[in-house]
Amino acid sequence: MSETVQTRFRFRPLRSPVAYLFVLPAMAIFAVFTIIPTVYAFGVSTFKWNYLNSALSTFVGLDNYKAMIQGTYEPSFASTMGVSLYFVASMVVLGTILSLLLAVLLYRASTVLLAVRSALFLTYVTPLVATSLVWVWMFNPRFGLANAVVNLVGIHPVDWLNNTHTAMPSIIIYSLWHEIGFTTIVFVGGLTTISTELSEAARIDGAGPAREFLYVTLPQLRPFVIFVVVIGSVSSLHAFTQFFVLTGGGPGYDTSTLGFQLYQQAFVLRNTGYAAALAVVLFLITILLSLAQLAASRSLRSSDH
Amino acid sequence: MTTTAGVLARRRRLRPGRLVRQVVAVIIGLAFLAPLIWTFLTSVSTESDVYRFPPKLWPAWDWSNYSRAWQAAPWLRYFGNTILIAGCVVALVLATSLLAGFAFAVMKFRGRGALFLIVMAVMMVPQTVLLIPNFLIAQRLGLYDTYAIQILPWGASVFGIFLLRQFFNTLPPELFEAAELEGAGPIRMLFSIAAPLAKPSMVLVGLNSFMGSWNAFVWPYLMTKSDSIRPIEVGLQSFYGTDGTDWTGLCAAVTFTTVPIILLFLFLQKYFVNGAYGVEGAVRG
Repeated sequence: MSETVQTRFRFRPLRSPVAYLFVLPAMAIFAVFTIIPTVYAFGVSTFKWNYLNSALSTFVGLDNYKAMIQGTYEPSFASTMGVSLYFVASMVVLGTILSLLLAVLLYRASTVLLAVRSALFLTYVTPLVATSLVWVWMFNPRFGLANAVVNLVGIHPVDWLNNTHTAMPSIIIYSLWHEIGFTTIVFVGGLTTISTELSEAARIDGAGPAREFLYVTLPQLRPFVIFVVVIGSVSSLHAFTQFFVLTGGGPGYDTSTLGFQLYQQAFVLRNTGYAAALAVVLFLITILLSLAQLAASRSLRSSDH
Repeated sequence: MTTTAGVLARRRRLRPGRLVRQVVAVIIGLAFLAPLIWTFLTSVSTESDVYRFPPKLWPAWDWSNYSRAWQAAPWLRYFGNTILIAGCVVALVLATSLLAGFAFAVMKFRGRGALFLIVMAVMMVPQTVLLIPNFLIAQRLGLYDTYAIQILPWGASVFGIFLLRQFFNTLPPELFEAAELEGAGPIRMLFSIAAPLAKPSMVLVGLNSFMGSWNAFVWPYLMTKSDSIRPIEVGLQSFYGTDGTDWTGLCAAVTFTTVPIILLFLFLQKYFVNGAYGVEGAVRG
């Protein structure tokens, strides 16, 4: 009895309204630089925006979205989406498969394998601008290392970044080189958590390494695969720097992805309203991907029980 | 002891794939490092050695490229700006994450769930989407082309709040009950009890923000125009823009701007790898 009275009247610092002051700085930054701008982007996308004097902007409703469907601006929205899909699909498929293979190769604990894992992860932490410049030099049509390598197997020098057929593959090669260390480490983390008993059982039952991997290891890695696929598709959908440095969206519009076009339309061509509409589309696709991940991991969890 | 060693040795001998695995791994590792090694070799080559095909791999160790590149741009300024911006971002992120993480984990207040949901929703908004509205807002607020616009937006991190909340959740409630009896308020609880225990998480959060600031390009490139306040990667890009054919000089500049990050990585590898399991990737592009 006396105890409850005591707790009721005692000073409860952890229930104090100071908590609001604690969350205030972070929430204020999120409000000013993320939440309000997100809403604002939707607003700007309904205007024909005058970038010199925003007061002279005119409300045009959904015209900027209609312009996408009608292909008013060069390059057309359809071609931008096609280029984006080319990049995102290649990054997700190749990135996931290659980093799975690398993780299987490297996940055991040994000094040599650990050093190789570090080498892979090192490329991931290097700055995008600096290493994109490195690869501009790698892909140099006359003196680059890329041509020296393909020359060994008798292929004639290629103008990697200015050729319609090789520009996007070149960016994909660079991006895989830069990103794969991260996804490999994620899979290495996954492989060290899964049960070895099942693998041993499979081996005793006479399964070869390939079948053991496909039927025993891979199913257990599913949550990691989902994570890597979603993170990979979101980050490659938004990729910008390597396109800016390596090709500038060219040749023609061959490497003009959604992320790159958003920059080009807003900051070079000053079609701010249209660019904001592109940003809204990009935002909605990102939300869909994140929700898909939530749904997928939730269904995984419920099927486990 | 000897028996386990014996078993291990036998097991090693029994695995013929072991050597193959290591050889393949080393070849792949070298392939990944090749572009970086080649950049360094180019940076110490003479111009005439660079312009030949197939490339001459062994360089002439000509270090003059470094002094030429160093004098061609205000690198010291870029480095200083980067360190200033990164330092402020890290300090802000640690402060906001500690405060919010502590409140969300330990304190009870009305609307806690809803506010935390907002934090999680913020994570879903990608930076690309924010470029246009923030550019317009920055101009209106007079923040365009300032240090502030390069610092403030990155001063709170969902990753940081999330990680510190997770950590504070693992602390036993008795810890705070004892402090409560001594009459400690929430500020003292956070800074003299909880924060000192959270050092490993704080290093991870700080490192994540530091790397983000060091590698930042799109944001400072669009939000500033003066060389005097721009950071290193923007400087590197404009150096390339002014003389894109001086490959030996460019490779020297890439080397001296990237070596600090590589050294940081080599010293703090453990944290980087732990960060790979974090919620938010470390890259801001």
